[in-house]
Amino acid sequence: MRRSHITGLALAIAAAACGIGVARADEVTIASAGPLSGPQAFFGVTWQNGMQLYLDEVNKSGGVNGHTFKFMKMDDQADPRQGTLVAQKLCDDDSVKVVLGHFNSGVVLPTLPIYSQCDMPDIIFGSNPALTQQGVANIVRPVPNDFIQGALPANYARNDMKAERAAVVNDKQTFGEGVSRIFAERFKQAGGTVTSVSQVNPTDVDFTALITQLKQQNPQVVYLGAVMPQLALFAKQMHDLGLDAKLFVPDGGYTPDLPKQAGDAAAQAIYVTFQVPPYDSSPELVDFTKRYTAAFHSDPGAYSVYGYILAQIAVAAIKSAPKLDRADIVSALHSTKLDTILGPVSFDKNGDLAGGGRVFLYHIDNGKFVLAGHS
Amino acid sequence: MTGLLLQQFVNMATIGAIYALIALGYTMVYGVLRLINFVHSELFMLGAYFCYGLLAFGFGGIGSVGALAVTVAFFAVFALVGFTGVAIERIAYKPLRQATRLAPMLSALGLSLFFQSAVQVLAGPQPIRFPSIFPGTRIMVAGAVITTTQLGIVVLAVALMLLLAAFVARTRLGVLVRAVSESPRTSALLGINVDRAISLIFFIGPGLGGLGGILYASYYGIMYPTMGTIVGLKAFTAAILGGIGSIPGAMLGGFLLGFVEVAGTALLPVLSGGILGTDYRDIFAFIVLVTVLIFRPTGLLGEQISEETMVYKRDY
Repeated sequence: MRRSHITGLALAIAAAACGIGVARADEVTIASAGPLSGPQAFFGVTWQNGMQLYLDEVNKSGGVNGHTFKFMKMDDQADPRQGTLVAQKLCDDDSVKVVLGHFNSGVVLPTLPIYSQCDMPDIIFGSNPALTQQGVANIVRPVPNDFIQGALPANYARNDMKAERAAVVNDKQTFGEGVSRIFAERFKQAGGTVTSVSQVNPTDVDFTALITQLKQQNPQVVYLGAVMPQLALFAKQMHDLGLDAKLFVPDGGYTPDLPKQAGDAAAQAIYVTFQVPPYDSSPELVDFTKRYTAAFHSDPGAYSVYGYILAQIAVAAIKSAPKLDRADIVSALHSTKLDTILGPVSFDKNGDLAGGGRVFLYHIDNGKFVLAGHS
Repeated sequence: MTGLLLQQFVNMATIGAIYALIALGYTMVYGVLRLINFVHSELFMLGAYFCYGLLAFGFGGIGSVGALAVTVAFFAVFALVGFTGVAIERIAYKPLRQATRLAPMLSALGLSLFFQSAVQVLAGPQPIRFPSIFPGTRIMVAGAVITTTQLGIVVLAVALMLLLAAFVARTRLGVLVRAVSESPRTSALLGINVDRAISLIFFIGPGLGGLGGILYASYYGIMYPTMGTIVGLKAFTAAILGGIGSIPGAMLGGFLLGFVEVAGTALLPVLSGGILGTDYRDIFAFIVLVTVLIFRPTGLLGEQISEETMVYKRDY
């Protein structure tokens, strides 16, 4: 009798141990790739923190369909070459079921064919409009594309500021060139004049010669399609050389580094487009900020809330997919219907955000970002 | 129009002065050791970081310190980067002096990576704001806006170059440097301490480069671990343009490259009617370089090709 008790106990323990083992095997890996080092590291790290926050919350509440989630963070250094290496690695790892990223348009583009070959469900974040036009079926993009981001400042400059002359500068990269071209088109459509379109190298730090030339054209508005730290360098040199125009920059400028590196006086002329409303503008966002701060002991970064939403979409797709394989998750992704902190999310046939999504325009006033308008 | 020309001239002089200051380091080292000192661009970066550290921790905050503190920091950075240069030569180049010419070059590349990564680890990869060490006033002259930072950079850089020229031409130590760069072996036979001359060069060249780093960071308002890579490449180009090995050549090359870059940005779109944009600036600059090298293979002020240098060339 006694012996059988002990045997029973041992069996129970063994079963429990097996149970734990089974639970581990049921762990689903979600990977994310973005810049975790280099000048854009601040964006990448806080963006992935948002994902971490959501996955931790799901794991704590017992997971989904009996699965818990393992989060794999990869660093692509915002570099297309590094990005393709990371993509191949994730493809070859069978435990990875969804990829969140990449972060930069220029990195997404070369990684698309790689993820497509291994049928990887890929929730991309790069906002260049061309990315969803490549005929790749395995991607969705839950973030407004640059048609919206380029159009908003064009309309604002033309209709609200009554600006007539705009000079356009870009850094020759997939993102910067794309968004600045859209700005130029929309500004012309709205009846304005584009005085010149100039290109600079992505490694340039000296824009004095260019700005001196721009000054001759007397623009009221300058649009700069580039990323940090060039945005700060350009703003500072514009101010130093006395080019007295408003400077519109895309979302990469939404960081406290911009007014800090450009200097408050130069930053006063800057307007930044950004996909997130102020973090205190809705109760959901206030609550998100509270949870984020509790988890990471710092304020959410620019894209933290998008990181959260990307993870939410991935988990929802895994939940509704009939089988846990990549192809099934891809089709589940496309039929996503979800309520998020920033409103409902669903996708059109290309995988772009249905309805286009919303973009916000901020003015830098005394080193602080103040909402000036939205699409 | 005068305003425009004056403005572009000041833009050109500022960037040219910085290129020239850095190019001196490349050319002095090459003149003596026939070595392209790839770590020079990192010494340039270290100059800015040392200055920032000194002012922030030694004088309680960069940007709010007085002229005295800046002057002290300037000399201290010159010495610090200079001694770093000497140490680099002792540790990384001297043991390889008898080896093939590729060995010290690889050693230089490795050190360059080492310094970049070290600063990245210690100070972080993100750009750090660097307030100008000059008072930030704008002066309006004939329609051009000139900042005191630009003026300060040009004046300081030119003063440093004149000092160097006087040092090399008129002092006993300068004679040593010139003798060794002409022929290390003959100098040794004549009883000149070659090692001391080389150490001196590795003190002055990097020291000037470090000061260039301070001026550069002041001008653009930021510093970051990889800031030396592109500027170093440009300064190296300037050194070749002027004639590598020649000190006045490096100065001329620096200003000339600044001129070509500014002219490329300002004139290309106008002259070509918008077909060639400002992005062709670097192509324009390198076309000028190649053209100069076709007609004067040793650069504008480079030494005549002697039997000896031909031998060195063959070694590559």
